[in-house]
Amino acid sequence: MPLPQWALALADSAGKSGEHQAVLATVTALPELDERALVVEAQAGNRAAFEELVRRFDRDVLRLALNLMKRPEDARDVYQEAFLKVYRNLHRFRFECSFYTWLYRIVTNVCLDHLRRRQARPEDQAPEVLVNRQEEGTRDFFEVQREHRPALDPERSLIGKEIRTRLAKAMERLSPRERVVFEMKHYQGLKLRAIGDALGTTEETVKNSLFRATRKLRQELGELR
Amino acid sequence: MSVFGSNGARKMNCDEVAPLLVFLACDEVTAEERAGIESHIMECAECRAQLAEVGEFQDNLATLPQSADELDRTGTLLAQCRSELSETLDEMAAPVEQESWRPFGFVRRWMALRPVWSAAGLLAAGAILGVQLLQWLPTNDSNLNFRAVNVSAAQKITNEQLEKMAVSEINFAPNSDGTPGTLQVQLRAEQPVVLSGNLDDSDMRRVLTYVVKNSERFDPGVRLDCLDALRAKIGDAEIRDALLDAARRDKNPAVRMKALESLREVASEQDVRDAVLESLEEDTNPGVRVEAINLLVRSLEMESGTPAMPPSPGANSDVPMVAQTAPALAESDPSVRRVLRALEQLRRNDPNHYVRLRSAAALRQIGPAEVQ
Repeated sequence: MPLPQWALALADSAGKSGEHQAVLATVTALPELDERALVVEAQAGNRAAFEELVRRFDRDVLRLALNLMKRPEDARDVYQEAFLKVYRNLHRFRFECSFYTWLYRIVTNVCLDHLRRRQARPEDQAPEVLVNRQEEGTRDFFEVQREHRPALDPERSLIGKEIRTRLAKAMERLSPRERVVFEMKHYQGLKLRAIGDALGTTEETVKNSLFRATRKLRQELGELR
Repeated sequence: MSVFGSNGARKMNCDEVAPLLVFLACDEVTAEERAGIESHIMECAECRAQLAEVGEFQDNLATLPQSADELDRTGTLLAQCRSELSETLDEMAAPVEQESWRPFGFVRRWMALRPVWSAAGLLAAGAILGVQLLQWLPTNDSNLNFRAVNVSAAQKITNEQLEKMAVSEINFAPNSDGTPGTLQVQLRAEQPVVLSGNLDDSDMRRVLTYVVKNSERFDPGVRLDCLDALRAKIGDAEIRDALLDAARRDKNPAVRMKALESLREVASEQDVRDAVLESLEEDTNPGVRVEAINLLVRSLEMESGTPAMPPSPGANSDVPMVAQTAPALAESDPSVRRVLRALEQLRRNDPNHYVRLRSAAALRQIGPAEVQ
């Protein structure tokens, strides 16, 4: 079967010829494909296309998982479980929404499952990154920043440290859904409608969750103002 | 007094403005709401102060470091995740390739490599068959015109038909509320049959469970579709037996995995747990073993949970209520002890890295203190 022109052109421009090199060219050209074409390729069983899709989105996925789970091993579990679900169910994806939205729906569901499980087990709740970091004597955020921002004073540094500790504690008191919504809004920068799509719920419900989360966090930080 | 402010926006009072300030600060209000709020805060010092406070809170958030930056500064974790995923996908793909035998596979390969010859051959075969068939068939028009027959639920499919049938297609038509609706199964038999109905029809159940139980005769895609349809009636003993059978014996790992997944709702029942344990200990595919671990964790959660307890006032409805943990159950239930032992074995000895990690994580979730 003849290879597409663009694949042959790519092989020639790299100074290669022959069928084997042309096939390699097909693989190297995958990053050039748009999202839809990659999904179609992956649905047809092209493993390289699936891995390219993973590479396009997995940085964001791992970031979301780390911010929510706060532990590398849990984030790793979320990453594996989410992408295996995507792999197994890709044939069901019908382009009714963007692949990104569909992927985020899976990832947030996996995160919610893990957070709910964790919340149901008190012995699993304690150890998050901020507590550990302080215990291990890692440098304070504002201390790190001071190197680049000499205007910051020691008082600001202390307040910053206090805010961070309290915020971390307050985050633990949020429900899994509130935590996911807050994270996706403030750190992933998604619009409320997109968050609703990812969570399979309405914008109004997301608004309520964000409002409750912000109120709880502000109450926790209130005394510091 | 006018209900509109100086900028023409509807006048709002403090109670209306207060809940919108958070959304104003993150640019999630409508133009009308924005105009109303801005008009109000020009006149109300208290709400102005509230808005400044919300703004300060958002600024504080923006300056705080994110866990992701701290926990994976160098990208090592990302690389590790990618490599583990790739390894798992490799292992999931391997057994499927072993089962790639199909009748006339060599003919199909030959045809794929020689498309022109194949097309010519197929045309010639079609022409010969068409000419010969006309001679063999009786000239009675009513017989020539027969097509697929719709079978109502009352009409029984015989065992002989079941043994000779092949399933060409299964279609789902879910109800508007998302619940399982009508199923349509197209059977290729001596006489083509289209079977329509839902899982309450005994014929429909018989056909779907027959397909699942006789995996060697049907395509894995058809078996997956049957499992999808059957999971809606997992309470039915005949259906559950078929799913357990598929989880234990189906040759295709994707089908075994799907069968396990379909048993989630009844994971805490003894026969299901036995089948899952069997998969955990004996299945050659790491993906299936991981699914079995997930199911066992769920089964213990279901067993130790107290779903009948009403939520207390102010309790968060997002949080499932699980009152006890596995260690307490392990003392009274030998099968829980067996689960813990199996997970521990897997954690130590499984050849797959991800399965070992997942078992360790499961033990952390459910296991007694001494195995953590």
